[in-house]
Amino acid sequence: MTLAYPPQPDRDSAPWWARAGRREFAVQECDSCGTLRFPPRAFCAACRREAWHWRRIAPEGTVESWIVNHQPFVPGRRDPYLVVMARLTAVPGCLVHGNWRAARPPKHLEPVVAVFTEVEAEVTLVDWTPADV
Amino acid sequence: MTLVPKRLLELRDRTAIAGIGYTPFTKDSGVSTLTLACRAVLAALEDAGLTPDDVDGLATHRVGDSAAPSLVAPALGLDVTWHLDQFGGGSVSHAVVGQAALAVAAGVADTVVCYRAINARSEFRMGGTGRGVPVSPEVQYQAPYGLVAPAQHFALYARAHMLRYGTRPEHFGHLAVTQRANAVKNPRALMRTPITLDDYLASRWIAEPFRLLDCCLETDGACAVVVTTAERARALRRPRVLISAAAWGGGTSHLSCDDPTVTGAAALAPRLYAQAGLGPGDIDVAELYDCFTYSVIVQLEDYGFCPKGEGGPYAASGAIGPGGELPVNTHGGFLSEGYVHGLNHVAEAVSQLRGEAGDRQVPGAEVALSTAQPGYILPATSALILRRA
Ligand SMILES: [Zn+2]
Repeated sequence: MTLAYPPQPDRDSAPWWARAGRREFAVQECDSCGTLRFPPRAFCAACRREAWHWRRIAPEGTVESWIVNHQPFVPGRRDPYLVVMARLTAVPGCLVHGNWRAARPPKHLEPVVAVFTEVEAEVTLVDWTPADV
Repeated sequence: MTLVPKRLLELRDRTAIAGIGYTPFTKDSGVSTLTLACRAVLAALEDAGLTPDDVDGLATHRVGDSAAPSLVAPALGLDVTWHLDQFGGGSVSHAVVGQAALAVAAGVADTVVCYRAINARSEFRMGGTGRGVPVSPEVQYQAPYGLVAPAQHFALYARAHMLRYGTRPEHFGHLAVTQRANAVKNPRALMRTPITLDDYLASRWIAEPFRLLDCCLETDGACAVVVTTAERARALRRPRVLISAAAWGGGTSHLSCDDPTVTGAAALAPRLYAQAGLGPGDIDVAELYDCFTYSVIVQLEDYGFCPKGEGGPYAASGAIGPGGELPVNTHGGFLSEGYVHGLNHVAEAVSQLRGEAGDRQVPGAEVALSTAQPGYILPATSALILRRA
């Protein structure tokens, strides 16, 4: 599988993608106030300081919403596919997206866990699957 | 910090929209966005009874798809001493008019024409089909999963709202049907064939829960409005429409969007109303940014017309149709009139307040709310409250 739109890591996010490639789900933790944040960026929005470190968290969340896509927005991707919006358990207020990895549709607020998939060389995506599977 | 700085309160009703102009709305204009922009600017000046020589300011917003003021000014031989070329999507559409009003109120410019020229169907497909993904840092966490288009993002928000509050497809459908009925009465509208709730429910999936008829049109066209001082507008030929409030921002919402059922408009609305010295109950007609049906539902809540979670039933109650307590998107909106990225909502509000909206006129409309994309994906939004002088 070749992605039409592979991740384009930038100077803030490259280390995050490298950790995902090692099947590690990490977010930033502010050195000053301890606030966790994602996606990666230099400043803590709570205390406006820069110093931070990576904090490995459990890749768990709950289902907030999902779509089943039909319109051919992505070149070469015509079959319906499901994108889920999950709320990270470890990071208050943080929503993340990924494809859905289960034969059945999601349920509202159900617990989910991340699935790391190396879709092509050096590209690992983070999808979501029911925690009870 | 006070809700609204005193100086901003002093600007209430000090500026006006003195003219509006359009090109035809089509699916293929056959001309450049520069041509569209020039035509709309001249049409708005003609409407105001002004000439190009009266213009000293130009403003637009765009996403790299359209003609900049620095191009339009020489193309029309305008001697522009103030301009604004705002990068941004629909969330900044009304901020452009607000910035023009500030420039005029400050005396930096006398007459600013705000325009938006767009070939959103024939050149740069705004809906996202058949073009690349936007360049912005957050996109890397979305596009690899096939999440690339506004319809998909708003569908995610819409389902979150459905799951939490019981909002139903029929609520979205009622909105689409009502706006189409409005467009039937609007000679400018692209879509003038009435639809039923069954038509809505039978329309094909785009991204569940959104069907085709949840989505706005992709349109070629341009729209322009002339902003000047209230005093100067008094001498011009059109009924005066005053800018009572112009606000932008979206609060301190989390970058990763902590509540998908609330928009930046919830933070903006109290400031906007305070600027105007009015509340939701004073609004006679509302032109609410309707990139999708759900966008209107959530704004009915976030601008205070009904409690959180009740936007769907409120929309389906008849309140937003002709003769309802809050007629919404009287021109048919982006869903049925056409999509000019925010500015055609401003122009329709002006038509309503002038009492010149023909068959779709809201009787006695004195105060209008017009809004931008309500602050989804990123929290900032913008809005105007306009008043008949
Ligand atoms: Zn901090």
